[in-house]
Amino acid sequence: MKKFSAKVVVKMKPNIKDVKGLTLKRAVESFIPIENLSCNVGGYYFFKFSANNEIEALKTVEKIAREILSNEVIETYEIRTLEEIYE
Amino acid sequence: MNSLKVGIIVFLGTNCEQDTRRACEFFGWDAEYIRQDDKIEKKYDLIFIPGGFSYGDHISSGRIAKLSPAVKSLPVGKTMIVGICNGFQILCEAKLLSGALLDNQNIKFISKVADLDFCNEQISLPIAHHQGNYTDDNIDKNQILMTYQNNENGSDMSIAGIYDRKNKIIGMMPHPERAIWDELGLTDGRKVFEFVKNQI
Repeated sequence: MKKFSAKVVVKMKPNIKDVKGLTLKRAVESFIPIENLSCNVGGYYFFKFSANNEIEALKTVEKIAREILSNEVIETYEIRTLEEIYE
Repeated sequence: MNSLKVGIIVFLGTNCEQDTRRACEFFGWDAEYIRQDDKIEKKYDLIFIPGGFSYGDHISSGRIAKLSPAVKSLPVGKTMIVGICNGFQILCEAKLLSGALLDNQNIKFISKVADLDFCNEQISLPIAHHQGNYTDDNIDKNQILMTYQNNENGSDMSIAGIYDRKNKIIGMMPHPERAIWDELGLTDGRKVFEFVKNQI
């Protein structure tokens, strides 16, 4: 089997009220002069695992991201990287 | 039907199971705990998913608990299921109820007694949560069971609880099990438990 590493970003859907993002926006605006600021707060997940090939690895990452890391009602996920590693 | 057979699911991090059990005992119901790792095979009249911080609320409230054998084996449509606070979050995460619960609008843990509209009555129940801000773009208004009078957490339409009548599943953020005993000064929780019993 091959070893893979993956990085997944989860964030709120654009139409969902991101209250942490709004709070961060207010804090930044009170901290430094800045214009047209928008902030989103989400999660960044790293993991390593074994799979037979890249297609199987992608299916695994998608399943984890869709069913555990995010809730499709309020969040979206993005698989930032999926690469074979040698260690 | 006077005595009900009640199951109360307990996860790592659940902390309202004893209150829920004592509330059941107040009504003379026969309650027992169901461990998170056990499949639900026994026949119950009613199953509670009580409040707490299942699996430390990691990733998001209820996100891990939805994967447990107990939740996966819930007898949906056959037995009345009631999720309170974290239980409501778990039911939404498991897609057994519509919508989702976001961080409270003020991003603070809210612990207070909330005034609610429930079955054409005003009642007061304790709330204690950080993610109780209910959102659902496609909410069926017929599912709304109780609403906040002062929308403490920013929920859509001030929703505090919903009821999927088809599948007999109730979810609510307020804690009726903490408002049963005279000694605690609040007894409106009895009305919620009586309502639940009448739905069975």
